[in-house]
Amino acid sequence: MMLWKRLAYLLPWRRRAAERDMRDELQSIAAMARPGELGNLTIAAEDARAEWGWTRLEQTMQDLGYAVRTLRRSPGFTATAVLSLALGIGANTALFTIVNAVTWRLLPIAHPETLLLLGQRQGTAIDNGFSYQQYRMIRDHTRVVDLAAYGRARLNVSIDGRAEPAAEGQLVSGRYFPLLGVAPAIGRALGPDDDRVPAGHPVAMISHGYWKRRFGLDPAVVGRSISLSGVAFTIVGVTPPEFFGVEVGTSPDLFVPVMMQPVVMPVSENLLADPINGVSWLRVIARLEPGVSIAQAHAALGSLAPAVEWRPRNKRGDVVADVTLALTPAATGLSDLRAQFSTPLRILMGVVGIILLIACANVGSLVLARSAARRSEFAVRLALGASRSRLIRQVLVEGLVLASLAGACGIGLAYLMMRVLVTYVSAGRSPVTLDLAPDARLLGFTAAVSLLTGLLFASVPAFRASRLDMAAAGRKDLAGTRHSVGSLHPGRWLVVSQVALSLLLLIAAGLFVRSLQNLQRQDAAADRHQVLIVRVEPRGSDQRNIPGTSARLDGIYRDLLARVERIPGVQSASLARTAPLAPISLGTRLTTPSGGEVETRILTIYPRYFTTMGLSIARGRDFSEDDLRPDAPLVALVNETFVRRVLEGRDTQGPAAVTLSGQRIEIIGVVKDSRYPDLRRPTPPILYQTFLQTRTGRGQMVLHVRVAGSAARAIPQLREAVQRIDPDVPIFDIQSLVEEMNAAFVQERLVATLSGFFGIVALTLVCVGLYGLMSFTVARRTPEIGVRVALGAARSDVAWMIARQTLALVAMGIAAGLPLAWVLGRLASRQMSALLFELTPVDPLTIAGAIGVLILVAMGAGWAPARRAARIDPMVALRNE
Amino acid sequence: MEPLYGVLDMLVLRTLLFGPLHGYAIAGAIRDNSGDALTIEFGSLYPALKRLELKGWIAAKWETSERNRRAKVYRLTPAGRRKLLKEKSEWAEFVSAVARIMKPTAGEID
Repeated sequence: MMLWKRLAYLLPWRRRAAERDMRDELQSIAAMARPGELGNLTIAAEDARAEWGWTRLEQTMQDLGYAVRTLRRSPGFTATAVLSLALGIGANTALFTIVNAVTWRLLPIAHPETLLLLGQRQGTAIDNGFSYQQYRMIRDHTRVVDLAAYGRARLNVSIDGRAEPAAEGQLVSGRYFPLLGVAPAIGRALGPDDDRVPAGHPVAMISHGYWKRRFGLDPAVVGRSISLSGVAFTIVGVTPPEFFGVEVGTSPDLFVPVMMQPVVMPVSENLLADPINGVSWLRVIARLEPGVSIAQAHAALGSLAPAVEWRPRNKRGDVVADVTLALTPAATGLSDLRAQFSTPLRILMGVVGIILLIACANVGSLVLARSAARRSEFAVRLALGASRSRLIRQVLVEGLVLASLAGACGIGLAYLMMRVLVTYVSAGRSPVTLDLAPDARLLGFTAAVSLLTGLLFASVPAFRASRLDMAAAGRKDLAGTRHSVGSLHPGRWLVVSQVALSLLLLIAAGLFVRSLQNLQRQDAAADRHQVLIVRVEPRGSDQRNIPGTSARLDGIYRDLLARVERIPGVQSASLARTAPLAPISLGTRLTTPSGGEVETRILTIYPRYFTTMGLSIARGRDFSEDDLRPDAPLVALVNETFVRRVLEGRDTQGPAAVTLSGQRIEIIGVVKDSRYPDLRRPTPPILYQTFLQTRTGRGQMVLHVRVAGSAARAIPQLREAVQRIDPDVPIFDIQSLVEEMNAAFVQERLVATLSGFFGIVALTLVCVGLYGLMSFTVARRTPEIGVRVALGAARSDVAWMIARQTLALVAMGIAAGLPLAWVLGRLASRQMSALLFELTPVDPLTIAGAIGVLILVAMGAGWAPARRAARIDPMVALRNE
Repeated sequence: MEPLYGVLDMLVLRTLLFGPLHGYAIAGAIRDNSGDALTIEFGSLYPALKRLELKGWIAAKWETSERNRRAKVYRLTPAGRRKLLKEKSEWAEFVSAVARIMKPTAGEID
């Protein structure tokens, strides 16, 4: 009952009624008593209120209300403080969300913590790829772990006879869904019975996203027929909405049994029949059987070989003996994304951390300046009997109100920034799907950041306020005239540290931006917008050692080129084994005249490749149609590096030749060096050969097309031409060389753009901090300046005096920031160097530039206060004394 | 002389045993009944009243006196009556215990 009564007092109307009742009662009693007999009735009432037991809470509510009113009274201060903090908190939240999604978030499956990943360990390296035969052998002879496998496949889809965009698919073994414990949203999940006979189970599951996108969540989708690579499949179920497979960042839309591989991947050979040493296209996930420890599992897996010989063989055909099977935790999912972006994300985490520090320093100096201005207010409150702890609490509550406002705005900003970030990360070939829904950890992080920030910037002014000397504060504050910088000290240090921190960010931004520029300058081809690139994979082009394939493919390719060159707007077209920025995997060791060996890249091309790419031939000629005849003599072009390193400059004495696999190849031309394929490294020696004369056996190619005018106009016809080769083979995206480059430089662009953006944010914050401090200084020194002017100081001298003070602050900041930059550059040199091209982390030019920008901007920020100081009218200034 | 802490509650309950009284009268009654030995500051009495009311031992009601004056009158509730009985016996024990300690012994000469 007592608790109810006390709770009832929390209701505002109940409390108002109680207050009224108490006032009436005290009045009635006072009417009866002699004057003065009852003592201080206010204190009696206050003590009676305390009996209700909500004093602490009421005071906090008062503090809150007071804080909100005070903040509303100074909107400029509030807006600046909230915005600075919101930027800091928003940037931190955005990056934390992405890092969280990429690295820490557990997979949405049953018991993610016990999910394991099987790998082949050799020394310290673990390879997670397995061929089908390896997987089958290990699975069939293991009792201690439950194993399932999956592989990626790009699938050509048509529904109701109409072609759809190619979809990202996954081939999964029968145990895949049971092992993960993923239950279907509707229908049934694929199980072991769907994965018994090669090519015998035309069933598929679709993802929730695909169900929503393509079928509008129609439940009748179960049982529908869908054509994959030209073969009819029945949809048996839909995966749950939160399931994206076990690779973070990917989102397969279709799941088909591994046994259907030869059916859905007509381009490739039958990987089910592939030998142990064949293509490692499967990844294997595992769970321990009940009661089995990981050590027991490792022991059992270790004893498989040599009785069950799953181990790969080397080139001489010997078993690689030192390969063992290893189980590693897979709870947070596998991710190429994580491997690719962990360095940039870590650097950006550091950058946004610094931004938050700057924002804190900024708000701290603002609050400090304000609290100095509020000294008389505090003095009055102290005099009226407020306790010091109450004053501290008041300032802290104000800080917290600011921080929570900023936190709320920060989350909004974070969503914006996240969208930008994910768009960047997705610029690669396959779309990136990240589960960016805020989770408890994220909310906790944001709350902690806001709270800590609030406490951090509120603490200094709070304790200064409590040390207030009442008598001194009650007098008119003349500290300025005595030129006391003591009270300004924390504010100065805050600004100096802001300058130092932003110098760090400016240097980082400068480094990353310049590095990106260096990289982009490496590209030799002019007018990159005019070159379109599309991968071509005719049926059978991924199969090896089948007689006649090369001639058949050559026919297809020449036909394709002829068709493409007839498209209006196309200037020239050619084919090459790889896209310009993709690594050329084929390397051969060639012997130089002096007996050395040089690793050479071989690129298979068709005529007019150099014209199409905008590369120029230094001497000799391009391939001609005659060189494509089956009986043509062996010919090749080489690049200048090849001439220098492999021929050692000997091609100048007449026609040169190289010997490859015992055959003499005549060199018909030399191509100018370009930085392809890897702009980050020196050009390798490259030997260009025609398709039929290259002995590789395989033959997917990349179509390169140079168009005149708008590239977009040629794209539909280009797509049609490629599709004509074989409608059941997936067609890849048509990209321009620019897009290809952007995709290749996605890390560098991400870091350069964001660090540039945050560099500007830091500069803005420093400007606000400097401007605030200098305006405050000028305001406090107004009487002094008045005296100076009255005594004959020139206005320019006064302005210079203030400007000098600004410069001194900046100089101190730079002096503090430079060693810090040097130390950080050393500490993070490995991470930084990974992202820097032809630059060191302590590049003097960049550092000088950053200092210049900082000084310039600081002078800009200090200009207005200096001007205000110069315009001080001595009469007005002294009258106020 | 001010009563000990906690004793005030007991005195208020005991005073109200004779009948309902308003706040000012309670202070007067305690002073009178103690033969002017105990003076209760109103500043202590008033919070005590609120405390007792909150615990449900006394209840308050606005009444109009014969001289047409409105006053808030407190009276003992059944729960307050039980509390008073308990306090009384505890008080008796406390007093006798203190008395035993304070009783002059053989060796003590005043």
